[in-house]
Amino acid sequence: MSAVSLDHPKTARRAREPMDRQAIVAVFKKDLTAIRRSKAVVLPMLLVPTLLMIVLPAVIGFAARSQESFSLDRFLGSLPGDLARPILELPAKEQLVVLVNGYLLAPLFLIVPLMVSAVLAANAFAGEKERRTLESLLHLPISARDLFYAKMLVAYVPALLVSWIGFVAFAIVANTVAWPVMHRVFVPTQLWGVMIFWVAPAVAALGLAVMVRVSARAKTSQEANQLGGAVILPLIFLAVGQATGLLLVDLPVALAIGAVIWLVALVLIGGGAKRFTREELSSRV
Amino acid sequence: MAVIETHDLTRSFSSGTAVDRLTFDVEAGEVVALLGPNGAGKTTTVRLLNGILDPHGGSARVLGLDPFTQGDELRARTGVLTEHAGLDDRLTARENLMFTAKIRGLEARTAERRLDELLGRFGMADRSDDLVQGFSTGQRKRLGLARALMHDPDVLFLDEPTSGLDPTATRDVVELIGTLASEHGRTIVLCTHFLGEAGRLAHRMAVLHRGTLHAFGKPTDLASELWPHLEAAIDLGASAPADLLTFMRQVSGVQSAEPTPEGATLRVADRDALARVVTMLVGRGVDVFAAVPRPPTLEDVYFAIEAGITGTSVTAPLVESRALEVPA
Repeated sequence: MSAVSLDHPKTARRAREPMDRQAIVAVFKKDLTAIRRSKAVVLPMLLVPTLLMIVLPAVIGFAARSQESFSLDRFLGSLPGDLARPILELPAKEQLVVLVNGYLLAPLFLIVPLMVSAVLAANAFAGEKERRTLESLLHLPISARDLFYAKMLVAYVPALLVSWIGFVAFAIVANTVAWPVMHRVFVPTQLWGVMIFWVAPAVAALGLAVMVRVSARAKTSQEANQLGGAVILPLIFLAVGQATGLLLVDLPVALAIGAVIWLVALVLIGGGAKRFTREELSSRV
Repeated sequence: MAVIETHDLTRSFSSGTAVDRLTFDVEAGEVVALLGPNGAGKTTTVRLLNGILDPHGGSARVLGLDPFTQGDELRARTGVLTEHAGLDDRLTARENLMFTAKIRGLEARTAERRLDELLGRFGMADRSDDLVQGFSTGQRKRLGLARALMHDPDVLFLDEPTSGLDPTATRDVVELIGTLASEHGRTIVLCTHFLGEAGRLAHRMAVLHRGTLHAFGKPTDLASELWPHLEAAIDLGASAPADLLTFMRQVSGVQSAEPTPEGATLRVADRDALARVVTMLVGRGVDVFAAVPRPPTLEDVYFAIEAGITGTSVTAPLVESRALEVPA
């Protein structure tokens, strides 16, 4: 009988097993099926992207079309010169569309990957406790590491898909509705490109990372969402900073912000992965 | 051969010691009941044996594997029904079972065949494509059992399989478990605080109280340790009068005689003493309609052990009891 020492049980090492892709895919598909059927998860996940990526650009486009001219001089005058100058050089009717859809909406868009990944991560991690399905999951022959990967994918992949599909919808709506004013395709811009392919994935990872940590202590996904909700604050500051000119999110700044967020997210995820053990999970069931 | 062996297995939480130096074994094909009130350490023991909790001391081997270091390998060969069944309400019965089959690496065709077979056997075939959300507790338990059996496990851990069930559903689930135990020589560890199901199913019982094992063995063996005498009911057609009770008490080997509505209850040293009593009663012209030795029930054994632990009287209702009988 291989004994575990009374004095140092946690020093015994488990053999490192190869990744079980079939098990990871099974958990991923199972969770996605369950999420699809859960209106409480799906509706808020689709509502915000719809408002931000479809309704808002459409409203701005129609507003620009319906007015003879907008006087944005006063507002643009309060912005830093680097941001205001290229917009001021545009015809008056184009200024509103380019200002909002081209610049101001970009940081606000980051709410989408953040929210989707956070909601799904809370559902994937804390939700198992809430539904009393965690213990039976732990009794299955899937390693904690594979389970962690699967749960990460369940939150991360839809967050990226919703963000990217949302952006495509945004680009179509913004360009189509504003076509009579702009007479050209004006999004995506370089800034949007960086936001979509660099900052948004980082933000999705951050939302996920925060929820992984919070879910370890929360008993329900609602509790996890409440505890982890503060993660949205930096994005609000970013959006407000952009709108007021306090922080100009141009290309170099967006790249730097993305790098910092990636770093924080990876550190948090690494810490969460270390704590994601059967022992830790089952002692909280 | 022991399929499960533990030696001084210990586990503590911040709230206290949940399992304290637990040593016992389970033979292949045996059904062992872990008995005890809530908080006795039954569920923690199952979690330790299936490797989802780490021990703080001692050791365990299940199917020759160390649950602590070979947990995934072990879990591939065990099946567990947790107290709350642990099914995803948002999935159908079929989807819940197929998910488990995929995690367990079953081929799709094999899994489908096994799934249909189990759902049919457990009376759930007509609900296979329904969401679990609308299932009763009994249906969930049956589906949970089916899930635990998808891969035909060598060892089955059943944690409170009948809790929350009505009497009919309880009978169905107990019958199912009885069948599972008798076929394929499957080893079953049954955690329960219902003595009825333990009495019907278990070959041996382990009485846990606050994480400590207080008794382990066959109910009849434990009973003979607790009571080196035999109880018997004498049917005389009416309650035995005082002079007859005094007469019976004077027979060699009779320790006590108490009146009952049908006659008397005797405590005798052995079966020979009972035969002597019957012979002497008949010789005295008393009509004896029946003399039935009554072995102690599992309930008698359990309550006597609990009374010894807690210092309460033997009749103290420490556990809920249903349909009490000792397995043959």
